Amino acid sequence: MTLLSRLAKVCAVLAGVLLTVITLITCASLIGRNTIGWTLVGDFELSGSAAGAAVALFMPWCQLERGNIMVDFFTARASVATQEKLDRFGALLLALAMGLMTWRTTVGGLNAWASKAGSMMLGFPEWLVYVGMVPPLLLTTLIALAQAVRGFEFGGTELAQ
Amino acid sequence: MTPVMLTLLIFAIMLALMAARAPIAISMFVAGAVGYVLQAGWMPLASFLNTQAFARFASYDLSVIPLFILMGNFATQGGISRALFGFASSIMSRFKGGLAMAAVMACAAFGAICGSSVATAATITQVALPEMRRLGYSGRLATGTLAAGGTLGILIPPSVPLVIYAILTEQNIAKLFAAAMVPGIIAMLGYMVAIAIYVRLVPGHAPEHEEGPPITLQSLSGIVPIAAIFVIVFGGIYGGLFTPTEGAAVGAASTFIAALVKREIDWAKFKLCFYSTAESSAMIFLIFLGADLMNSALALTQVPAQMAGIVQGWGLPPLAVVGAIMLFYVVLGSVMDELSMILLTIPIFFPMIMGLDFGMPKESVAIWFGIMVLMTVGFGMLAPPVGLNVYVVNGMAKGVPIAESYRGVVPFLISDTLRTLLLLFFPPISLWLVGYIG
Repeated sequence: MTLLSRLAKVCAVLAGVLLTVITLITCASLIGRNTIGWTLVGDFELSGSAAGAAVALFMPWCQLERGNIMVDFFTARASVATQEKLDRFGALLLALAMGLMTWRTTVGGLNAWASKAGSMMLGFPEWLVYVGMVPPLLLTTLIALAQAVRGFEFGGTELAQ
Repeated sequence: MTPVMLTLLIFAIMLALMAARAPIAISMFVAGAVGYVLQAGWMPLASFLNTQAFARFASYDLSVIPLFILMGNFATQGGISRALFGFASSIMSRFKGGLAMAAVMACAAFGAICGSSVATAATITQVALPEMRRLGYSGRLATGTLAAGGTLGILIPPSVPLVIYAILTEQNIAKLFAAAMVPGIIAMLGYMVAIAIYVRLVPGHAPEHEEGPPITLQSLSGIVPIAAIFVIVFGGIYGGLFTPTEGAAVGAASTFIAALVKREIDWAKFKLCFYSTAESSAMIFLIFLGADLMNSALALTQVPAQMAGIVQGWGLPPLAVVGAIMLFYVVLGSVMDELSMILLTIPIFFPMIMGLDFGMPKESVAIWFGIMVLMTVGFGMLAPPVGLNVYVVNGMAKGVPIAESYRGVVPFLISDTLRTLLLLFFPPISLWLVGYIG
Protein backbone atom coordinates (compact mmCIF):
# COMPACT_ATOMS: atom_id res chain seq x y z
CA MET A 1 0.00 0.00 0.00
CA THR A 2 2.87 2.34 0.69
CA LEU A 3 3.66 2.17 -3.01
CA LEU A 4 0.09 3.18 -3.93
CA SER A 5 0.20 6.03 -1.40
CA ARG A 6 3.50 7.27 -2.73
CA LEU A 7 2.26 7.16 -6.30
CA ALA A 8 -0.90 9.03 -5.30
CA LYS A 9 1.25 11.73 -3.68
CA VAL A 10 3.42 12.01 -6.76
CA CYS A 11 0.29 12.37 -8.91
CA ALA A 12 -1.17 15.10 -6.68
CA VAL A 13 2.05 17.12 -6.70
CA LEU A 14 2.41 16.63 -10.46
CA ALA A 15 -1.15 17.90 -10.93
CA GLY A 16 -0.39 20.86 -8.68
CA VAL A 17 2.62 21.68 -10.82
CA LEU A 18 0.45 21.42 -13.95
CA LEU A 19 -2.02 23.88 -12.40
CA THR A 20 0.87 26.20 -11.58
CA VAL A 21 1.99 25.96 -15.21
CA ILE A 22 -1.54 26.86 -16.34
CA THR A 23 -1.41 29.84 -14.02
CA LEU A 24 1.92 31.00 -15.41
CA ILE A 25 0.92 30.50 -19.06
CA THR A 26 -2.30 32.43 -18.49
CA CYS A 27 -0.60 35.29 -16.64
CA ALA A 28 2.16 35.56 -19.24
CA SER A 29 -0.36 35.57 -22.05
CA LEU A 30 -2.63 38.20 -20.61
CA ILE A 31 0.17 40.46 -19.44
CA GLY A 32 1.51 40.27 -23.00
CA ARG A 33 -1.91 40.91 -24.47
CA ASN A 34 -2.65 43.93 -22.28
CA THR A 35 0.78 45.56 -22.52
CA ILE A 36 2.75 44.91 -25.71
CA GLY A 37 -0.07 43.36 -27.71
CA TRP A 38 1.66 39.97 -27.85
CA THR A 39 -0.46 36.99 -27.05
CA LEU A 40 0.20 33.31 -26.70
CA VAL A 41 -1.90 31.79 -29.46
CA GLY A 42 -4.10 28.96 -28.21
CA ASP A 43 -3.15 29.48 -24.56
CA PHE A 44 -6.63 28.35 -23.53
CA GLU A 45 -6.19 25.09 -25.41
CA LEU A 46 -2.99 24.39 -23.51
CA SER A 47 -4.75 25.27 -20.24
CA GLY A 48 -7.68 22.98 -21.02
CA SER A 49 -5.39 20.10 -21.96
CA ALA A 50 -3.22 20.54 -18.86
CA ALA A 51 -6.33 20.80 -16.68
CA GLY A 52 -7.57 17.50 -18.12
CA ALA A 53 -4.48 15.66 -16.97
CA ALA A 54 -4.39 17.57 -13.67
CA VAL A 55 -7.96 16.68 -12.70
CA ALA A 56 -7.35 12.97 -13.35
CA LEU A 57 -4.04 13.17 -11.47
CA PHE A 58 -5.86 14.59 -8.44
CA MET A 59 -8.16 11.56 -8.18
CA PRO A 60 -5.89 8.91 -6.61
CA TRP A 61 -5.05 11.17 -3.68
CA CYS A 62 -8.71 12.06 -3.14
CA GLN A 63 -9.70 8.39 -2.99
CA LEU A 64 -6.76 7.54 -0.73
CA GLU A 65 -7.89 10.26 1.68
CA ARG A 66 -11.51 9.12 1.33
CA GLY A 67 -12.32 12.59 0.12
CA ASN A 68 -15.21 11.51 -2.10
CA ILE A 69 -18.20 12.82 -0.26
CA MET A 70 -20.88 10.43 0.99
CA VAL A 71 -23.98 10.53 3.18
CA ASP A 72 -23.56 9.09 6.68
CA PHE A 73 -26.90 10.24 8.01
CA PHE A 74 -28.85 7.02 7.41
CA THR A 75 -26.20 4.77 8.93
CA ALA A 76 -25.24 6.99 11.85
CA ARG A 77 -26.67 4.51 14.35
CA ALA A 78 -25.15 1.41 12.78
CA SER A 79 -22.19 -0.21 14.49
CA VAL A 80 -18.70 0.80 13.48
CA ALA A 81 -18.19 -2.67 12.00
CA THR A 82 -21.26 -2.33 9.78
CA GLN A 83 -20.17 1.13 8.68
CA GLU A 84 -16.74 -0.18 7.79
CA LYS A 85 -18.27 -3.03 5.76
CA LEU A 86 -20.51 -0.60 3.87
CA ASP A 87 -17.59 1.73 3.24
CA ARG A 88 -15.57 -1.13 1.80
CA PHE A 89 -18.53 -1.98 -0.42
CA GLY A 90 -18.61 1.67 -1.51
CA ALA A 91 -14.90 1.51 -2.31
CA LEU A 92 -15.57 -1.63 -4.36
CA LEU A 93 -18.27 0.18 -6.36
CA LEU A 94 -15.91 3.06 -6.91
CA ALA A 95 -13.21 0.64 -8.06
CA LEU A 96 -15.66 -0.90 -10.56
CA ALA A 97 -16.76 2.50 -11.87
CA MET A 98 -13.18 3.78 -12.14
CA GLY A 99 -12.10 0.50 -13.71
CA LEU A 100 -14.78 1.01 -16.34
CA MET A 101 -13.61 4.60 -16.84
CA THR A 102 -9.99 3.46 -17.16
CA TRP A 103 -10.92 0.91 -19.80
CA ARG A 104 -13.17 3.20 -21.83
CA THR A 105 -10.79 6.16 -21.56
CA THR A 106 -8.02 3.92 -22.89
CA VAL A 107 -10.24 3.06 -25.86
CA GLY A 108 -11.03 6.75 -26.29
CA GLY A 109 -7.32 7.55 -26.26
CA LEU A 110 -6.60 4.89 -28.89
CA ASN A 111 -9.36 6.35 -31.05
CA ALA A 112 -7.89 9.82 -30.66
CA TRP A 113 -4.47 8.44 -31.66
CA ALA A 114 -5.93 6.70 -34.71
CA SER A 115 -7.90 9.75 -35.86
CA LYS A 116 -5.04 12.15 -35.04
CA ALA A 117 -7.57 14.41 -33.31
CA GLY A 118 -6.09 17.68 -32.13
CA SER A 119 -7.13 21.00 -30.64
CA MET A 120 -8.46 23.67 -32.93
CA MET A 121 -5.74 26.33 -33.07
CA LEU A 122 -2.57 24.58 -32.02
CA GLY A 123 -3.44 21.08 -33.17
CA PHE A 124 -2.35 19.95 -29.71
CA PRO A 125 -2.81 16.15 -29.91
CA GLU A 126 -5.72 14.85 -27.86
CA TRP A 127 -4.12 11.47 -27.25
CA LEU A 128 -1.46 13.16 -25.18
CA VAL A 129 -4.13 14.25 -22.69
CA TYR A 130 -5.44 10.67 -22.59
CA VAL A 131 -1.91 9.49 -21.81
CA GLY A 132 -1.99 11.82 -18.82
CA MET A 133 -5.43 10.61 -17.71
CA VAL A 134 -5.31 6.81 -18.00
CA PRO A 135 -2.52 6.02 -15.46
CA PRO A 136 -4.06 8.05 -12.61
CA LEU A 137 -7.50 6.57 -13.35
CA LEU A 138 -5.95 3.11 -13.10
CA LEU A 139 -4.18 4.09 -9.89
CA THR A 140 -7.49 5.31 -8.42
CA THR A 141 -9.06 1.97 -9.33
CA LEU A 142 -6.24 0.06 -7.61
CA ILE A 143 -6.38 2.21 -4.48
CA ALA A 144 -10.16 1.74 -4.18
CA LEU A 145 -9.74 -1.99 -4.77
CA ALA A 146 -7.09 -2.21 -2.06
CA GLN A 147 -9.42 -0.32 0.32
CA ALA A 148 -12.29 -2.69 -0.50
CA VAL A 149 -10.13 -5.76 0.14
CA ARG A 150 -8.01 -4.61 3.07
CA GLY A 151 -9.96 -1.85 4.73
CA PHE A 152 -8.92 1.72 5.42
CA GLU A 153 -6.29 1.41 8.16
CA PHE A 154 -3.53 2.51 5.85
CA GLY A 155 -3.98 5.74 4.01
CA GLY A 156 -2.14 8.85 3.10
CA THR A 157 -2.79 10.89 6.21
CA GLU A 158 0.33 9.88 8.09
CA LEU A 159 2.40 10.25 4.96
CA ALA A 160 1.13 13.76 4.35
CA GLN A 161 2.36 15.01 7.69
CA MET B 1 -40.89 -0.48 -18.58
CA THR B 2 -42.61 2.88 -18.89
CA PRO B 3 -40.43 6.01 -18.88
CA VAL B 4 -41.81 7.08 -15.51
CA MET B 5 -41.03 3.71 -13.94
CA LEU B 6 -37.52 3.85 -15.39
CA THR B 7 -37.02 7.31 -13.92
CA LEU B 8 -38.19 6.11 -10.54
CA LEU B 9 -35.92 3.07 -10.78
CA ILE B 10 -32.89 5.26 -11.55
CA PHE B 11 -33.63 7.49 -8.56
CA ALA B 12 -34.31 4.47 -6.34
CA ILE B 13 -30.91 2.96 -7.16
CA MET B 14 -29.18 6.26 -6.51
CA LEU B 15 -30.92 6.81 -3.18
CA ALA B 16 -30.40 3.21 -2.02
CA LEU B 17 -26.67 3.37 -2.73
CA MET B 18 -26.40 6.80 -1.15
CA ALA B 19 -28.16 5.61 1.99
CA ALA B 20 -25.71 2.70 2.12
CA ARG B 21 -22.73 5.07 2.35
CA ALA B 22 -21.53 4.71 -1.25
CA PRO B 23 -19.84 7.92 -2.47
CA ILE B 24 -22.54 10.23 -3.91
CA ALA B 25 -20.73 10.49 -7.25
CA ILE B 26 -20.62 6.70 -7.56
CA SER B 27 -24.27 6.31 -6.54
CA MET B 28 -25.19 8.59 -9.45
CA PHE B 29 -22.72 6.85 -11.76
CA VAL B 30 -24.09 3.36 -11.07
CA ALA B 31 -27.74 4.47 -11.25
CA GLY B 32 -27.01 6.28 -14.51
CA ALA B 33 -25.14 3.31 -15.99
CA VAL B 34 -27.99 0.91 -15.17
CA GLY B 35 -30.59 3.32 -16.58
CA TYR B 36 -28.51 3.90 -19.70
CA VAL B 37 -27.99 0.19 -20.40
CA LEU B 38 -31.66 -0.63 -19.82
CA GLN B 39 -32.72 1.93 -22.41
CA ALA B 40 -29.97 2.07 -25.00
CA GLY B 41 -27.87 -1.03 -24.38
CA TRP B 42 -24.21 -1.49 -23.57
CA MET B 43 -22.54 -0.29 -26.78
CA PRO B 44 -23.94 3.27 -26.72
CA LEU B 45 -22.93 3.55 -23.06
CA ALA B 46 -19.43 2.32 -23.86
CA SER B 47 -18.95 4.85 -26.62
CA PHE B 48 -20.46 7.59 -24.43
CA LEU B 49 -17.84 6.82 -21.78
CA ASN B 50 -14.94 6.71 -24.28
CA THR B 51 -14.79 10.48 -24.45
CA GLN B 52 -16.53 11.46 -21.23
CA ALA B 53 -13.46 11.88 -19.02
CA PHE B 54 -11.71 13.89 -21.73
CA ALA B 55 -14.76 16.06 -22.38
CA ARG B 56 -15.23 16.91 -18.71
CA PHE B 57 -11.66 17.11 -17.44
CA ALA B 58 -9.86 18.72 -20.38
CA SER B 59 -12.20 21.69 -20.54
CA TYR B 60 -10.93 25.24 -20.48
CA ASP B 61 -14.20 26.47 -18.97
CA LEU B 62 -14.07 23.99 -16.12
CA SER B 63 -10.39 24.65 -15.36
CA VAL B 64 -11.65 27.71 -13.50
CA ILE B 65 -12.74 25.36 -10.67
CA PRO B 66 -9.37 23.89 -9.64
CA LEU B 67 -7.81 27.33 -10.10
CA PHE B 68 -10.25 29.03 -7.70
CA ILE B 69 -9.74 26.13 -5.28
CA LEU B 70 -5.96 26.54 -5.49
CA MET B 71 -6.36 30.27 -4.87
CA GLY B 72 -8.45 29.55 -1.76
CA ASN B 73 -5.82 27.13 -0.49
CA PHE B 74 -3.01 29.62 -0.98
CA ALA B 75 -5.13 32.11 0.97
CA THR B 76 -5.73 29.54 3.72
CA GLN B 77 -2.06 28.65 4.10
CA GLY B 78 -0.86 32.18 3.46
CA GLY B 79 -1.58 33.64 6.90
CA ILE B 80 -3.95 36.24 5.47
CA SER B 81 -6.80 35.38 7.82
CA ARG B 82 -5.16 36.46 11.09
CA ALA B 83 -4.56 40.01 9.90
CA LEU B 84 -8.10 40.21 8.55
CA PHE B 85 -9.64 39.17 11.83
CA GLY B 86 -7.32 41.48 13.74
CA PHE B 87 -8.43 44.47 11.71
CA ALA B 88 -12.12 43.56 11.88
CA SER B 89 -11.96 43.17 15.67
CA SER B 90 -10.24 46.52 16.09
CA ILE B 91 -13.22 48.14 14.35
CA MET B 92 -16.00 46.13 15.96
CA SER B 93 -14.85 45.59 19.54
CA ARG B 94 -16.68 48.71 20.78
CA PHE B 95 -20.05 46.98 20.15
CA LYS B 96 -21.66 44.28 22.22
CA GLY B 97 -21.00 40.97 20.44
CA GLY B 98 -18.38 42.85 18.47
CA LEU B 99 -15.91 40.03 18.19
CA ALA B 100 -18.57 37.75 16.69
CA MET B 101 -19.44 40.48 14.21
CA ALA B 102 -15.75 40.84 13.43
CA ALA B 103 -15.59 37.11 12.71
CA VAL B 104 -18.47 37.49 10.26
CA MET B 105 -16.69 40.39 8.56
CA ALA B 106 -13.47 38.40 8.35
CA CYS B 107 -15.40 35.50 6.79
CA ALA B 108 -16.93 37.85 4.22
CA ALA B 109 -13.55 39.36 3.33
CA PHE B 110 -11.96 35.94 3.11
CA GLY B 111 -14.90 34.77 1.01
CA ALA B 112 -13.94 37.44 -1.51
CA ILE B 113 -10.87 35.42 -2.46
CA CYS B 114 -12.08 31.94 -1.53
CA GLY B 115 -14.90 30.09 -3.25
CA SER B 116 -15.60 27.39 -0.70
CA SER B 117 -17.68 27.65 2.46
CA VAL B 118 -15.97 24.87 4.40
CA ALA B 119 -12.54 26.34 3.72
CA THR B 120 -13.72 29.80 4.81
CA ALA B 121 -15.30 28.43 8.00
CA ALA B 122 -12.22 26.39 8.89
CA THR B 123 -9.74 29.17 8.14
CA ILE B 124 -11.46 31.91 10.11
CA THR B 125 -12.33 29.50 12.95
CA GLN B 126 -8.63 28.83 13.40
CA VAL B 127 -7.88 32.47 14.19
CA ALA B 128 -11.20 33.68 15.63
CA LEU B 129 -12.42 30.84 17.84
CA PRO B 130 -9.60 30.88 20.44
CA GLU B 131 -9.95 34.66 20.76
CA MET B 132 -13.74 34.49 21.15
CA ARG B 133 -13.55 31.78 23.79
CA ARG B 134 -10.81 33.67 25.65
CA LEU B 135 -13.01 36.77 25.89
CA GLY B 136 -15.92 34.75 27.25
CA TYR B 137 -18.12 34.02 24.26
CA SER B 138 -20.24 30.91 24.73
CA GLY B 139 -19.45 27.86 22.64
CA ARG B 140 -22.94 28.12 21.17
CA LEU B 141 -22.59 31.65 19.82
CA ALA B 142 -18.96 31.26 18.78
CA THR B 143 -19.41 28.07 16.77
CA GLY B 144 -22.78 29.14 15.37
CA THR B 145 -21.30 32.43 14.17
CA LEU B 146 -18.33 30.78 12.48
CA ALA B 147 -20.38 28.03 10.83
CA ALA B 148 -22.78 30.63 9.43
CA GLY B 149 -19.96 33.03 8.52
CA GLY B 150 -18.40 30.24 6.50
CA THR B 151 -21.33 30.22 4.08
CA LEU B 152 -20.23 33.73 3.05
CA GLY B 153 -17.38 31.91 1.32
CA ILE B 154 -19.80 30.77 -1.38
CA LEU B 155 -22.29 33.65 -1.14
CA ILE B 156 -19.63 36.24 -1.90
CA PRO B 157 -17.85 35.71 -5.23
CA PRO B 158 -15.80 33.85 -6.28
CA SER B 159 -18.07 30.93 -5.59
CA VAL B 160 -17.55 27.36 -6.77
CA PRO B 161 -21.27 26.39 -6.73
CA LEU B 162 -22.08 29.50 -8.76
CA VAL B 163 -19.39 28.63 -11.31
CA ILE B 164 -20.92 25.18 -11.69
CA TYR B 165 -24.39 26.68 -12.09
CA ALA B 166 -23.04 29.03 -14.76
CA ILE B 167 -21.44 26.18 -16.68
CA LEU B 168 -24.50 23.92 -16.49
CA THR B 169 -26.86 26.64 -17.67
CA GLU B 170 -24.41 28.29 -20.10
CA GLN B 171 -24.64 31.64 -18.36
CA ASN B 172 -21.96 34.29 -18.06
CA ILE B 173 -19.87 33.66 -14.92
CA ALA B 174 -18.90 37.33 -14.60
CA LYS B 175 -22.56 38.40 -14.59
CA LEU B 176 -23.49 35.78 -12.00
CA PHE B 177 -20.63 36.94 -9.77
CA ALA B 178 -21.86 40.53 -10.10
CA ALA B 179 -25.37 39.41 -9.19
CA ALA B 180 -24.08 37.63 -6.08
CA MET B 181 -22.19 40.68 -4.80
CA VAL B 182 -25.07 42.67 -3.25
CA PRO B 183 -26.88 39.61 -1.80
CA GLY B 184 -23.53 38.54 -0.32
CA ILE B 185 -23.10 41.88 1.43
CA ILE B 186 -26.72 41.75 2.62
CA ALA B 187 -25.96 38.29 4.01
CA MET B 188 -22.99 39.65 5.96
CA LEU B 189 -25.00 42.56 7.38
CA GLY B 190 -27.90 40.22 8.15
CA TYR B 191 -25.61 37.96 10.17
CA MET B 192 -24.22 40.94 12.07
CA VAL B 193 -27.73 42.13 12.90
CA ALA B 194 -28.63 38.59 14.00
CA ILE B 195 -25.69 38.68 16.43
CA ALA B 196 -26.63 42.12 17.75
CA ILE B 197 -30.19 40.98 18.43
CA TYR B 198 -29.21 37.60 19.86
CA VAL B 199 -26.73 38.94 22.43
CA ARG B 200 -29.39 41.34 23.70
CA LEU B 201 -32.28 38.87 23.78
CA VAL B 202 -30.36 35.95 25.25
CA PRO B 203 -27.90 37.18 27.85
CA GLY B 204 -24.81 35.28 28.88
CA HIS B 205 -23.44 34.34 25.47
CA ALA B 206 -21.19 37.32 24.91
CA PRO B 207 -19.08 39.38 27.35
CA GLU B 208 -20.56 42.70 28.53
CA HIS B 209 -17.46 44.68 27.62
CA GLU B 210 -14.77 43.93 25.13
CA GLU B 211 -11.60 45.70 24.44
CA GLY B 212 -10.00 45.17 21.10
CA PRO B 213 -6.72 46.29 19.64
CA PRO B 214 -6.74 49.94 18.57
CA ILE B 215 -7.07 50.77 14.89
CA THR B 216 -3.56 51.47 13.71
CA LEU B 217 -1.81 51.77 10.40
CA GLN B 218 -0.32 48.36 11.04
CA SER B 219 -3.69 46.68 11.59
CA LEU B 220 -4.98 48.45 8.50
CA SER B 221 -2.10 47.06 6.48
CA GLY B 222 -3.42 43.58 7.29
CA ILE B 223 -6.24 43.94 4.82
CA VAL B 224 -4.14 45.37 2.02
CA PRO B 225 -3.21 42.05 0.36
CA ILE B 226 -6.75 40.70 0.29
CA ALA B 227 -8.18 43.99 -0.98
CA ALA B 228 -5.50 44.18 -3.65
CA ILE B 229 -6.16 40.62 -4.85
CA PHE B 230 -9.90 41.24 -4.97
CA VAL B 231 -9.46 44.47 -6.94
CA ILE B 232 -7.00 42.88 -9.37
CA VAL B 233 -9.15 39.80 -10.02
CA PHE B 234 -12.57 41.42 -10.24
CA GLY B 235 -11.30 44.70 -11.63
CA GLY B 236 -9.64 42.73 -14.38
CA ILE B 237 -12.72 40.64 -15.11
CA TYR B 238 -15.15 43.57 -15.15
CA GLY B 239 -12.67 45.93 -16.76
CA GLY B 240 -12.59 43.55 -19.71
CA LEU B 241 -8.89 42.77 -19.26
CA PHE B 242 -9.45 39.06 -18.82
CA THR B 243 -11.99 36.23 -18.64
CA PRO B 244 -13.11 34.65 -15.35
CA THR B 245 -10.85 31.65 -15.98
CA GLU B 246 -7.90 33.96 -16.52
CA GLY B 247 -9.04 35.86 -13.44
CA ALA B 248 -8.83 32.65 -11.41
CA ALA B 249 -5.27 32.10 -12.63
CA VAL B 250 -4.34 35.70 -11.82
CA GLY B 251 -5.98 35.27 -8.42
CA ALA B 252 -4.05 32.09 -7.68
CA ALA B 253 -0.78 33.73 -8.72
CA SER B 254 -1.35 36.92 -6.74
CA THR B 255 -2.53 35.07 -3.63
CA PHE B 256 0.62 32.97 -3.83
CA ILE B 257 2.75 36.09 -4.15
CA ALA B 258 0.97 37.67 -1.16
CA ALA B 259 1.72 34.56 0.90
CA LEU B 260 5.33 34.62 -0.29
CA VAL B 261 5.75 38.26 0.68
CA LYS B 262 4.39 37.50 4.15
CA ARG B 263 6.97 34.69 4.32
CA GLU B 264 4.17 32.35 5.24
CA ILE B 265 4.65 29.74 2.54
CA ASP B 266 7.39 27.19 2.02
CA TRP B 267 7.68 24.01 -0.05
CA ALA B 268 5.95 21.91 2.64
CA LYS B 269 2.95 24.27 2.76
CA PHE B 270 3.01 24.57 -1.00
CA LYS B 271 2.57 20.79 -1.19
CA LEU B 272 -0.22 20.93 1.41
CA CYS B 273 -2.00 23.38 -0.90
CA PHE B 274 -1.67 20.89 -3.73
CA TYR B 275 -3.01 18.03 -1.60
CA SER B 276 -6.09 19.85 -0.45
CA THR B 277 -6.69 21.22 -3.96
CA ALA B 278 -6.45 17.60 -5.12
CA GLU B 279 -9.05 16.46 -2.63
CA SER B 280 -11.63 19.16 -3.42
CA SER B 281 -11.11 19.20 -7.19
CA ALA B 282 -11.17 15.42 -7.63
CA MET B 283 -14.29 15.17 -5.49
CA ILE B 284 -16.07 17.79 -7.63
CA PHE B 285 -15.04 16.30 -10.96
CA LEU B 286 -16.02 12.79 -9.91
CA ILE B 287 -19.45 14.17 -9.07
CA PHE B 288 -19.45 15.73 -12.55
CA LEU B 289 -18.83 12.29 -14.09
CA GLY B 290 -21.55 10.63 -12.04
CA ALA B 291 -24.10 13.40 -12.56
CA ASP B 292 -23.38 13.49 -16.31
CA LEU B 293 -24.12 9.81 -16.66
CA MET B 294 -27.22 9.98 -14.50
CA ASN B 295 -28.54 13.05 -16.33
CA SER B 296 -27.95 11.38 -19.71
CA ALA B 297 -29.88 8.33 -18.57
CA LEU B 298 -32.69 10.54 -17.26
CA ALA B 299 -32.74 12.54 -20.50
CA LEU B 300 -33.17 9.29 -22.46
CA THR B 301 -36.42 8.63 -20.57
CA GLN B 302 -37.69 12.04 -21.81
CA VAL B 303 -39.33 12.51 -18.43
CA PRO B 304 -37.38 15.67 -17.44
CA ALA B 305 -38.30 17.33 -20.75
CA GLN B 306 -41.95 16.48 -20.26
CA MET B 307 -41.85 17.65 -16.64
CA ALA B 308 -41.12 21.18 -17.83
CA GLY B 309 -44.23 21.07 -20.02
CA ILE B 310 -46.37 19.55 -17.28
CA VAL B 311 -45.36 22.19 -14.74
CA GLN B 312 -46.04 24.92 -17.30
CA GLY B 313 -49.46 23.36 -17.92
CA TRP B 314 -50.42 23.63 -14.26
CA GLY B 315 -50.49 27.38 -14.67
CA LEU B 316 -49.08 27.99 -11.19
CA PRO B 317 -47.75 31.41 -10.33
CA PRO B 318 -44.05 31.32 -11.39
CA LEU B 319 -42.90 32.51 -7.95
CA ALA B 320 -44.73 29.59 -6.37
CA VAL B 321 -42.76 27.18 -8.58
CA VAL B 322 -39.47 28.80 -7.56
CA GLY B 323 -40.59 28.71 -3.93
CA ALA B 324 -41.43 25.01 -4.19
CA ILE B 325 -38.05 24.22 -5.79
CA MET B 326 -36.30 26.11 -3.01
CA LEU B 327 -38.18 24.21 -0.32
CA PHE B 328 -37.20 21.01 -2.10
CA TYR B 329 -33.53 22.14 -2.00
CA VAL B 330 -33.74 22.87 1.71
CA VAL B 331 -35.05 19.35 2.37
CA LEU B 332 -32.64 17.63 -0.04
CA GLY B 333 -29.78 19.78 1.23
CA SER B 334 -30.19 18.34 4.69
CA VAL B 335 -28.76 15.02 3.50
CA MET B 336 -26.93 15.86 0.25
CA ASP B 337 -24.00 18.16 -0.46
CA GLU B 338 -24.63 21.31 -2.45
CA LEU B 339 -22.58 20.47 -5.54
CA SER B 340 -24.19 17.06 -6.11
CA MET B 341 -27.54 18.69 -5.61
CA ILE B 342 -26.88 21.41 -8.19
CA LEU B 343 -25.37 19.02 -10.73
CA LEU B 344 -28.23 16.57 -10.37
CA THR B 345 -31.20 18.93 -10.30
CA ILE B 346 -30.32 21.97 -12.40
CA PRO B 347 -30.57 20.08 -15.72
CA ILE B 348 -34.14 19.19 -14.70
CA PHE B 349 -35.26 22.41 -12.97
CA PHE B 350 -33.60 24.97 -15.20
CA PRO B 351 -35.66 24.25 -18.36
CA MET B 352 -38.73 24.26 -16.13
CA ILE B 353 -37.94 27.74 -14.83
CA MET B 354 -37.00 29.10 -18.23
CA GLY B 355 -40.39 27.98 -19.54
CA LEU B 356 -42.21 30.23 -17.07
CA ASP B 357 -42.99 33.90 -17.53
CA PHE B 358 -41.55 36.12 -14.80
CA GLY B 359 -41.98 39.33 -16.77
CA MET B 360 -38.19 39.61 -17.05
CA PRO B 361 -35.79 38.88 -19.92
CA LYS B 362 -34.69 35.22 -20.03
CA GLU B 363 -31.13 36.03 -19.10
CA SER B 364 -32.23 37.95 -16.01
CA VAL B 365 -34.38 35.02 -14.93
CA ALA B 366 -31.44 32.64 -15.37
CA ILE B 367 -29.14 34.86 -13.29
CA TRP B 368 -31.68 35.57 -10.57
CA PHE B 369 -32.61 31.87 -10.28
CA GLY B 370 -28.90 31.06 -9.91
CA ILE B 371 -28.68 33.43 -6.96
CA MET B 372 -31.80 31.88 -5.42
CA VAL B 373 -30.28 28.40 -5.77
CA LEU B 374 -27.06 29.64 -4.20
CA MET B 375 -28.97 31.13 -1.25
CA THR B 376 -30.89 27.93 -0.65
CA VAL B 377 -27.99 25.51 -0.79
CA GLY B 378 -26.41 27.57 1.97
CA PHE B 379 -29.16 26.33 4.32
CA GLY B 380 -28.02 22.75 3.89
CA MET B 381 -24.58 23.66 5.17
CA LEU B 382 -26.03 24.84 8.50
CA ALA B 383 -29.19 22.83 9.11
CA PRO B 384 -29.28 19.51 10.94
CA PRO B 385 -28.83 16.58 10.50
CA VAL B 386 -25.75 17.11 8.33
CA GLY B 387 -24.78 20.77 8.27
CA LEU B 388 -21.25 20.36 6.95
CA ASN B 389 -20.07 23.75 8.20
CA VAL B 390 -21.42 23.08 11.67
CA TYR B 391 -19.51 19.81 11.79
CA VAL B 392 -16.27 21.37 10.64
CA VAL B 393 -16.40 24.27 13.11
CA ASN B 394 -17.62 22.08 15.96
CA GLY B 395 -14.81 19.62 15.26
CA MET B 396 -12.32 22.44 15.88
CA ALA B 397 -14.02 23.61 19.10
CA LYS B 398 -13.01 21.38 21.99
CA GLY B 399 -15.70 20.79 24.63
CA VAL B 400 -18.63 22.26 22.70
CA PRO B 401 -21.40 19.67 22.17
CA ILE B 402 -22.71 19.48 18.61
CA ALA B 403 -26.25 20.21 19.85
CA GLU B 404 -25.01 23.56 21.21
CA SER B 405 -23.54 24.43 17.81
CA TYR B 406 -26.82 23.60 16.10
CA ARG B 407 -28.61 25.87 18.60
CA GLY B 408 -26.05 28.52 17.76
CA VAL B 409 -26.90 28.60 14.05
CA VAL B 410 -30.64 29.20 14.65
CA PRO B 411 -30.42 33.03 14.62
CA PHE B 412 -28.42 32.85 11.39
CA LEU B 413 -30.92 30.48 9.77
CA ILE B 414 -33.64 33.01 10.57
CA SER B 415 -31.51 35.70 8.96
CA ASP B 416 -30.97 33.41 5.94
CA THR B 417 -34.71 32.85 5.60
CA LEU B 418 -35.52 36.57 5.68
CA ARG B 419 -32.80 37.39 3.15
CA THR B 420 -33.90 34.59 0.82
CA LEU B 421 -37.50 35.82 0.89
CA LEU B 422 -36.31 39.36 0.23
CA LEU B 423 -34.35 38.24 -2.83
CA LEU B 424 -37.19 36.01 -4.00
CA PHE B 425 -39.69 38.85 -4.07
CA PHE B 426 -37.29 41.57 -5.22
CA PRO B 427 -35.16 40.24 -8.09
CA PRO B 428 -33.75 43.74 -8.84
CA ILE B 429 -31.61 43.49 -5.67
CA SER B 430 -29.61 40.78 -7.40
CA LEU B 431 -29.87 42.17 -10.89
CA TRP B 432 -29.13 45.89 -10.66
CA LEU B 433 -25.35 45.53 -10.46
CA VAL B 434 -25.41 43.19 -13.47
CA GLY B 435 -26.92 46.04 -15.48
CA TYR B 436 -23.85 48.20 -14.89
CA ILE B 437 -21.36 45.71 -16.25
CA GLY B 438 -23.52 45.14 -19.33
